[in-house]
Amino acid sequence: MNQSFYGLLLYIFLVTPPVANFMESLMVIHMHMQMPMLVIAGMLMARFFQKRFPRFFEKWNSNGVPGITLFVILMVYWMLPRTMDEALTSTLVEGFKFISLPFLAGISLRDSWKKLNPFGKNSIIISFTVLFIGLGWIYIWSPVQLCNNYLVIEQVTLGWAFLLTAIGMIVYLGYNFFIDPSAYE
Amino acid sequence: MKMEADLKIGFKDKANKMLGYHPEDAKLSKSYIAVAFIALLVGGFLGLLQGLNRAGLLELPSWFNYYQVLTAHGLLLILVLTAFFTIGYFYAALSHNLGGLLPKVRKLAWIGFFIKLAGFVLAVIPILMNEASVMYTFYPPMAAHPVFYIGLALIVVGVWSCCIGAFIQVANWRKNHKGQHVPILSYFATGVFVLLFFALMFVAVEVLFMIIPWVFGWVDTINVMVARTLFWAFGHTLVNIWYLTAVSAWYVVVPKVIGGKRWSDLLTRVVIIALVIMNITGGFHHQIIDPGINEVVKFMHVFMSLAIGFPSLMTAFALFAVFERTARRKGGKGLIGWWKKMPWGDVRFLAPFIAMVAFIPAGAGGIAQSTNQLDQVVHNTMWIVGHFHLTLGMSVVMTFFGISYWLVPFISNRVLTPQINRLGVIQTWIWTAGMICMSGAMHYVGLLGSPRRTSYTTYGDHATALGWDPYLMLLAVGGTLLIVGVILQVYAVFNMMFFAPKGDTEFPIAEEEDNATKTPYITERWGLWIVIMLIVVAMAYVIPLTEFIVNAPPGSPPFKTW
Repeated sequence: MNQSFYGLLLYIFLVTPPVANFMESLMVIHMHMQMPMLVIAGMLMARFFQKRFPRFFEKWNSNGVPGITLFVILMVYWMLPRTMDEALTSTLVEGFKFISLPFLAGISLRDSWKKLNPFGKNSIIISFTVLFIGLGWIYIWSPVQLCNNYLVIEQVTLGWAFLLTAIGMIVYLGYNFFIDPSAYE
Repeated sequence: MKMEADLKIGFKDKANKMLGYHPEDAKLSKSYIAVAFIALLVGGFLGLLQGLNRAGLLELPSWFNYYQVLTAHGLLLILVLTAFFTIGYFYAALSHNLGGLLPKVRKLAWIGFFIKLAGFVLAVIPILMNEASVMYTFYPPMAAHPVFYIGLALIVVGVWSCCIGAFIQVANWRKNHKGQHVPILSYFATGVFVLLFFALMFVAVEVLFMIIPWVFGWVDTINVMVARTLFWAFGHTLVNIWYLTAVSAWYVVVPKVIGGKRWSDLLTRVVIIALVIMNITGGFHHQIIDPGINEVVKFMHVFMSLAIGFPSLMTAFALFAVFERTARRKGGKGLIGWWKKMPWGDVRFLAPFIAMVAFIPAGAGGIAQSTNQLDQVVHNTMWIVGHFHLTLGMSVVMTFFGISYWLVPFISNRVLTPQINRLGVIQTWIWTAGMICMSGAMHYVGLLGSPRRTSYTTYGDHATALGWDPYLMLLAVGGTLLIVGVILQVYAVFNMMFFAPKGDTEFPIAEEEDNATKTPYITERWGLWIVIMLIVVAMAYVIPLTEFIVNAPPGSPPFKTW
């Protein structure tokens, strides 16, 4: 209950117009802070829904694959420059962002992650790593503006953020591969 | 006879084992500490020369000018003294806490020792030849002789070697002690080495990939803003590494010395984690007057710098709680009457205590400086010099001095004699008086506009500049007192290392209070804390660095301004 409440507080904070406006004013903060924080808010709130509707999650997401598929689809969707542009120009799409990221992506990620086997987890992280390298490459070396709402410099910044995140995930994968935490705890 | 000798050895070994004393590790720490205090002696004298020069009492010869002295003083005290002391101290703690250093860890620390020494010698040669008077911040576009930077790069590699050694040591201990918390002083060591490891990456990129190609002429220009930013991402963290080292003794050692207990293990560990996570991201408050950085980004860094004030206040609270509880247990009464019950005659308490008190004005001054508008008044004036003599020269170094009075006897298998203790108390008061005069004068004359990093000049007898003279004279008086303090301190250290009576000294580590709550295991998950730290670092640096690189102004060729 407690964490669901904090998740709700975080969600309300993120939706508040001044906060949302500020975060959306910089491309990298929009994609790399606002969106992940919305997902995190959803992950925190997921506990409430899991307790409230245990049968639903058991029935529809018994092995975690449907949930993670939904999560991946939403993530890929929101990483397209076009969708981000639209979230800024159309209130309807902006509303969809504030609903889809926490309630569809966040909740399904929380419910699915523990159900996945290590192979599933690693393949998800590896595919996101590859995707992030690709997106980093596009955003840094694209000769033209990809988003109407953001300048090229912002696009390049976002590209570097993608590449650094990908490096971080590679480090994590390496750490996971070489080190067994149960040997220490 | 032989049997008696055998028995004696057996007893000695047992005593050593009980005290957590390992002769080979002690030799390592002793070497580190010896280098640190030799650096203090030489650096101290160079400081005196500068103080006398600034007061107009001494004109330095052309073959050994003010800027050379300043660079060497900075390098010796900011780099050598602190790095060697921190590593020697924490390796002693790792050895004591974790059942002796592993042979490969000891080897790594020795390799680090010699690489650092070699690097240091390489850095000093060009300084002596007046080819590297670039100050300890070595900001481009001032360019020193390439050998100076190669020396710096070697120092970085040497410290990394010690970081990796420490990580191996802690990981090995955890493997053999599953589910246990790393002992508190080793936990501090882990935090410090994690910070060193990551902070050095920034300066390594600056030196290896930007400055070295540029001074060798492989590239024509350098991006000054990027170089400065990388330097301060490291430099600001280094400052807090010293602070964290000093804080480790405040939390763990001082309570034991006064006969008390540690107040809260969880709070201590949270302070360490908070400092590790929030540290690197404060770098821009050193560049608050620099052009080309957006106000929002500066504000974010100021926020992160001030955020560190929070764990510092937690520290202050915890320590005064320890003092009061211990003193009351010993019969101290009244609102402030319990103060009398503190061991004021014990240098192992007195020096760190004055260090803590000094941190109150030092921290307040730091807050003033990281505030944009206030910094406009004091930036690049003597105020800044006063500030870091108060923080490093008092809060940190006096704690190091306090540590030396038990650490050096411990690693030398000797004891702290009452005479040396008395000498230490006298040294502490001389140092305090000297630093108050010097740092106070620096702060005030800085407010009046006297610039830092400038040899003595009256600017053609300008009235304003002449008005600084009385304060600069007070600065020289302070500097003279400090050199007396340096000599006493170095004498005490080498006396305890080689001449004091043989005997066993305890490594003072305070116990937790009896009714302490159990610390949650999450504090041991360094992987998690490092990931959060990297996220915070990325938040602070990706936006400005991309801006500096993509919208870079024309780069600068190397300049030799001296």
